[in-house]
Amino acid sequence: MVDEQYPVIDCDIHQFLPNLQALYPYLSRARQEDLAQYGLRLPGAGGYLNGGDRGYRIDAWPEDGGRPSSTVAMLREQHLDVYPIEYGILLGQDLRGIPLLPDADFAAALATAYNDWMVEHWLAQDDRLRGAAFIASQQPAQAAQEIERAAAHPGVVAVVGINGVRVPYGQRVYDPIFAACEGLGLPFMIHTGGEGTLGQPTPVGYPSYYIEIRQARQMGYMAHLASMVFEGLFTRFPRLQVVFVEGGYTWLVPYLWKLDSDWRGLRRHTPWVERAPSEYILEHCTFTSQPMEMAERARQLSTVFEWAHADQTLMFASDYPHWDFDSPETSLPPMPEPMRRRVLAETARELFKLPPRVLANASAVPESARA
Amino acid sequence: MGRHVVAKLKHFPPGSRRIVQVDDQSIGVFNVHGNFYALRNRCPHQGAPLCRGWICGTLVATRAFEYVYAREDENIKCPWHGWEFEIATGRSVFNPHRVRVTTYEVTVEPAEADPSIPTFPVTVEDGLVILHV
Repeated sequence: MVDEQYPVIDCDIHQFLPNLQALYPYLSRARQEDLAQYGLRLPGAGGYLNGGDRGYRIDAWPEDGGRPSSTVAMLREQHLDVYPIEYGILLGQDLRGIPLLPDADFAAALATAYNDWMVEHWLAQDDRLRGAAFIASQQPAQAAQEIERAAAHPGVVAVVGINGVRVPYGQRVYDPIFAACEGLGLPFMIHTGGEGTLGQPTPVGYPSYYIEIRQARQMGYMAHLASMVFEGLFTRFPRLQVVFVEGGYTWLVPYLWKLDSDWRGLRRHTPWVERAPSEYILEHCTFTSQPMEMAERARQLSTVFEWAHADQTLMFASDYPHWDFDSPETSLPPMPEPMRRRVLAETARELFKLPPRVLANASAVPESARA
Repeated sequence: MGRHVVAKLKHFPPGSRRIVQVDDQSIGVFNVHGNFYALRNRCPHQGAPLCRGWICGTLVATRAFEYVYAREDENIKCPWHGWEFEIATGRSVFNPHRVRVTTYEVTVEPAEADPSIPTFPVTVEDGLVILHV
């Protein structure tokens, strides 16, 4: 059990649009009419089942028929006020598929509308909340302009993209996005999603079941990591930081070993990669904890955490209100106290530049709100 | 061991549940096809309020591509991560010997007659559902 005085920075909280009309104030009349007539048209979940109740915690659905986490009050009552959350990073929900849309201008209009809605209806409503800007990465130069625009609000502390893009993130086509992120000091976060929307979800085709498609997340992340290293992304953008959200963690160590081993004999293909791949990744990449893997014995995870430098590379995330939500109190395995503080808050604090503060609710967690 | 009246039997039909607080313990009481059971309202995985989950059946282990639905309304599925437990025994479906939730005894007893008022013959339908913790 975590000491309740430990602050928590939650790196993955999802908030819903209460309805589509919530976006209208931030869209042109023409886009409003398109939305009213045709809806969002975002590529769907590919026909797979999900967990929980329609993908969310059963207890996250409000009794009045609304949507989970669709008001700040709901988020406070079930999450922010239940745990000692010092900051929570909002990563949206309904519009995550923006980068998968075929129409890049429609995608860009939605991204702008989402970012403005997030600022006005969430970041301005609770000073624990911070957010990541959505972008239409189909057109990187245009996306970079949106990053500049959205980052004018101090609550926007990151940019978030999606896993299943057309080409991996190390490729030069994305440079304007990473130049903007680096210039503004914003980490680029990648959230799982879209695996299989623009191509087959795994190197061996389409699996049948949801539990299988979940394993495509780390396949995508492995491809992005290799791309970023061998395309020299981190030599071109030496201050860039990338966060891999919700794609697992314990696979990282053997993957680093594999990359380093292969590089020794193949380095001349990409001579700009001067150092072992693992060095770039450990310096530039962090990973969020949820859904935290369970091992046969908890101490086995402790060993992996040590090998993976978890005090520098792992950040807590709850994924509220999804069905595979991780509690900050019960999801992490035993680890040394300094490492636990780093994982729960301090690595994220440095990455997102969040000033420390006294928690109003740290000593008054309502017992009734707990399990 | 304490005796806690949960509800009148006639207000506690099959398929329904009550979540009660006994001292600092939250406990779910269930009517499963007319039999009463009680489980600790805390999932052994991450501490979720287990008894607020779905009351449902399950798909039993079969050969590949056979689907056999069984135990209708006899299981509870955790509201967070979907771990399934048999309400009668508290045993998980995926590892019944190692992963379990605490169970409590529940009885149905006739309501005790108040000697100050005229009494009538009672049947079990007039009874009380009693949780023993």
